[in-house]
Amino acid sequence: MTTVTPDTAQAAPSGKAPTPKRQSLLRAGFQILGIGTFYLLILVFFSLVSDNFMTYSNALNILTNVTVIGIVALGQAFAIISGGFDLSVSGTVPLGAVLFALLVNAGVSVLPAAVLVVAVGAVVGLINGLIVTKLGINPLITTLGTLSIAVGLAYTLSQGVTIPFSDPNAGVLADKTYGGVSYYVLAFALLSAAGFAVLRFTVFGRMLYAIGGNREASRLAGMRVDLVTIVVYMQCASLAAFAGVVVASQLLAGSATVGTEAALSSIAAVILGGASLTGGVGGIPGTLIGVLVLGTIANGMVLMQVPAFYQQIATGAILLLAVGFARLRGILSGEQG
Amino acid sequence: MAHLLEIAGISKSYGSNRVLTNVHFCLGAGESVAIIGENGAGKSTFAKILTGVIRPDEGSIRLNGEAVSFHSPRDALHHGIAFIPQELAYVPHLTVAENILLGRWPSWRGITSTGVVLRRAREECRRFGIQLDVSRLMATLKLADRQIVEIVKALTRRASVIVLDEPTASLSEQESRALFEILEHLTDEGVGVIYISHRMDEVYRFSDRVAVFRNGELVASVSPAETTSEQLIAYMLGHEKEEFVQTPRRAGAIECPAVELRGWTRPGLPPLTNVSLAVGRGEILGLYGLRGSGAELVAEGLAGLRPDIQGDLILEGRAGQVFASPLAARRANVAYVPPERKREGLVLLLPIQENLMLLVLRQLSRWGVINRRHERARAAELARKFGVRYSRLSQTVGQLSGGNQQKVLLASRMAAQPRLLVLQEPTRGVDVGARVEIHRFLADIAAQGCAVLLVTSDLEEAVVVSHRLLIIRDGGIVGELAGPTKTQARAIALAAGGAA
Repeated sequence: MTTVTPDTAQAAPSGKAPTPKRQSLLRAGFQILGIGTFYLLILVFFSLVSDNFMTYSNALNILTNVTVIGIVALGQAFAIISGGFDLSVSGTVPLGAVLFALLVNAGVSVLPAAVLVVAVGAVVGLINGLIVTKLGINPLITTLGTLSIAVGLAYTLSQGVTIPFSDPNAGVLADKTYGGVSYYVLAFALLSAAGFAVLRFTVFGRMLYAIGGNREASRLAGMRVDLVTIVVYMQCASLAAFAGVVVASQLLAGSATVGTEAALSSIAAVILGGASLTGGVGGIPGTLIGVLVLGTIANGMVLMQVPAFYQQIATGAILLLAVGFARLRGILSGEQG
Repeated sequence: MAHLLEIAGISKSYGSNRVLTNVHFCLGAGESVAIIGENGAGKSTFAKILTGVIRPDEGSIRLNGEAVSFHSPRDALHHGIAFIPQELAYVPHLTVAENILLGRWPSWRGITSTGVVLRRAREECRRFGIQLDVSRLMATLKLADRQIVEIVKALTRRASVIVLDEPTASLSEQESRALFEILEHLTDEGVGVIYISHRMDEVYRFSDRVAVFRNGELVASVSPAETTSEQLIAYMLGHEKEEFVQTPRRAGAIECPAVELRGWTRPGLPPLTNVSLAVGRGEILGLYGLRGSGAELVAEGLAGLRPDIQGDLILEGRAGQVFASPLAARRANVAYVPPERKREGLVLLLPIQENLMLLVLRQLSRWGVINRRHERARAAELARKFGVRYSRLSQTVGQLSGGNQQKVLLASRMAAQPRLLVLQEPTRGVDVGARVEIHRFLADIAAQGCAVLLVTSDLEEAVVVSHRLLIIRDGGIVGELAGPTKTQARAIALAAGGAA
């Protein structure tokens, strides 16, 4: 005797499986292909309207400019894939920059100072993770709170002023180059490769997708969901703090006013790259393209001498267009949510 | 007697699947009718047609002699037929009074007053002889009281027929009695009451008439005073004398219990009182109970979801406590197949392969790095063993049919080679073919020496698949059936609390 529920009604025509190979391949790659194609169009457009766009030095320029947001976006991608997100990066970046400047000026050498700053970032992430998992407060409220605290701390520590480095060595990440590419761009590349490998090849990465895709099923499958979530927030905040180090060595100064756009830009980049705020999908390649899209548009508009205010409008519009287009395709192909 | 409600020749099909066939039914004013039948007999479909949730393919409904057709539950309510479903729909953050008058708050030019709402709600309650503190927030009420609020809500809309779907399933003995007192009061006032039930004691205590559904047909409409519970069960099952099904099992394996529960007890609703059972290696032990019997608590306790249960758990002779977490259950090598595969079991966005390997990632990896070739090979082997039909292992599980999803879920739990497999409703919402296959897999799994605990509310499944069957009612084991005594009739008689 069978119970007739809508479920069985749907399940019945299971014989016609979706077209083999293509379906899953497309589904996984489509968003990246889509945003990749979009990126190519942007490149073509700007190289047509500006002579200075398609040059080696401008390419380096773009890379340099996206590094800070890119590093933050790597961490953000982990958080979003696991079903959360982190607004507090907008506070952790300036906190990291100010701390780095203070430590270096206090005589700590560059490497230990950077390590200490990253450790402080990890603590911010630990607090985020503990509040989200143990108190069950949602990530929006939690990270909004810690965002405000971190920014406040950055202002307090810097007493509201920009702190220039007394030791010129502090700019090491920015000064030293390898084939014209500065060290921090190389660091960004290494971190991206590591992030890609972790998500794709490790048990931890697989657990992120599972937890983001279905938290309850993952818990029932015996995963330590809370622990993984805490680690994700720690990693996200550590990367944000490191981004603070990078921005400070770029500017040769620490200031509480840098990096405040980090949260929105990094979330925008991750979503552009095919992730969903409900979790379970997304990846590093898409995120990197998302970062490049935002950075290239900003750069191209500068070259076209478009005022900076319009850049923000353009960035927002592109985010809505890209995500809206993806959603529309989903609706047309009859997907839910 | 003039009929309040008259239903003639109602039929309903989903595709080629006929769920109701030519049902004729009458209800008089002030009459109470209990509807009984097995899962899938058509009771719920019937109730949903009566209340406008779904529309029949054929047949007519007459209310007070007038032909009506309902487009929606709202429409039905407008005509005076109210449905109290199991999943109540209410606004938790409003007061009882605001919920009772939901959307119809007394107002003057769009301005409403809390005082007037409270007063009106109190008047309504008094009119129907119901005691409720209407100023409380809905969320702070017990389930039983929320149900009563729903009834009052229906009555204030001048409902003349109230349809309830298993209203007592989650209520305590006392709360059920209180509910029936209210319903009796309403029938005295001339309201017609139709309620779906499983429990024989209720049927005998309250109803004027019992309507029995089987395979989509109304097979009997009798007065409980003139019918024995054996007769009612015979109507439900359709065969006066049932063939005994011998479920073969591996010889000699039973005597060493893989898992033993002793004295599992939990206050609250549903309760558990001193539940003890043992599952042997190579044995399929069935646990059958109606909704609200506490059967699911036993399964959830073994899955690590109910650390509040008091009692002992003995694994291969080693005594311990009830698992504190799902992780603890997994470490003890107990696998759990949850009842809601989409919500609790599978990650629909992930590929088949990754769902299959969800529990055994550590075995596939070294230094945390997954060996993907190894993973693929093991997933392919597992999928073949459990007859999963797919086009590619990289397909997402969300694209599979319900039956195939369920096979993936079962296979993923078996990947870890558990010593005990606990399943809850393993064939809910799957097609007939997959159901047969899953039952065969369970027999194979047991034959290979795994202990299997099958928790189900599907009577046929419970009787046919299990080697030994325990019946649970109101949180306590009320009987064990094995060998020739293991029949559907005995199982349901024990579970429903009729004279067995």
